Amino acid sequence: MNALVLFLILLKASLTSFSGLAAIPIVREELVIHHHVLTDTQLNQAVVISRSTPGPVAIYLVSVGYFVDGYIGAMVGWLAMILPAFLVIPLIHFLGQKADHPRVKSILTSVIIASATLLFAQVIPLAKDAIDGYLTFIIALISFLLLLFTNVKTHWVIFSALLISAISVIFSL
Amino acid sequence: MRPNFKEINIKNIFLVFASMGNLTFGGGNATIGVLHREIIERLSWISNEKFVLSFAISRLSPGSNYFAFCVSIGWLLKRFPGAVVSLLASSIPCSMIAAIATVAFSFAQSNSIIKSAIHGAIAAAVSITLVTSWNLIKPYLNKKSSFRVLSIIGLTFYLHYFIELSAIDIIIISACLGGFFPSEKS
Repeated sequence: MNALVLFLILLKASLTSFSGLAAIPIVREELVIHHHVLTDTQLNQAVVISRSTPGPVAIYLVSVGYFVDGYIGAMVGWLAMILPAFLVIPLIHFLGQKADHPRVKSILTSVIIASATLLFAQVIPLAKDAIDGYLTFIIALISFLLLLFTNVKTHWVIFSALLISAISVIFSL
Repeated sequence: MRPNFKEINIKNIFLVFASMGNLTFGGGNATIGVLHREIIERLSWISNEKFVLSFAISRLSPGSNYFAFCVSIGWLLKRFPGAVVSLLASSIPCSMIAAIATVAFSFAQSNSIIKSAIHGAIAAAVSITLVTSWNLIKPYLNKKSSFRVLSIIGLTFYLHYFIELSAIDIIIISACLGGFFPSEKS
């Protein structure tokens, strides 16, 4: 597939979604069903990779690009993933200036609270998937307490969790 | 001599977003939690109000909310150069890791130690996301606005779980309600 066509398809998917994985239906329709350059298995693998590596889940577009067109495809996926982010500048510029207006403030406060609630709602399926035994439960609980009550760097919490889990497999705990 | 990270310049913006934005498992929300801790609590680069303003506006922007958030913070810190640097620093390393992981996927899938280590990191990411949602709501929970806040939380849960509306639909409804019914003290 031509890199420009791949870029335009991934950009369209990225521009018409408002969160990372929301673009999947368009990616599947275009690349799996219409152009036959990607398989459902590869699309699932791209999602798993994005959830298993650091960064946002939208990064699955890089893996999709790689599956379709190698390293060039990965670069195209990266470009399509990041370019829509610049659209936030006029929003922050306009709403930032009006942020003290009561109506704008009320709109933003409502959006913040709804977004934070949706964030909390995401914790439930994430926890069901991630906490599947006493070890992961203890890791999640201790991480929660450390993050809420101490000033410990988050990196140390994540690295400790990585290390403890790896050691538990090595010693078959 | 240790670099002074308190100073807001392009180099420090790059270093903070490259390091904090690319080592966190668990998706963009967990990473925003890490950036909150670093940019607000440790470095005090911007106010918490501006941080949550960026968080809210990035939800209204097309594409990845996380990258829109990074651009927004970069813009607030150093205008267009800050926006470009924060976007590149937060996206290039994790994209390279994802590309390498795609190549090495079959190996990682069959290696139980790697799989378990990642699983443990994702368990920690659950807590990061939980603490982030609490940190965002906490400033609005006071005697004057508790009823309003709890009403929005209740409505969001109802629309999400019972009506099964998409996230952007719920956010647009919340924004409309906020616009139609501004609180007297807002």
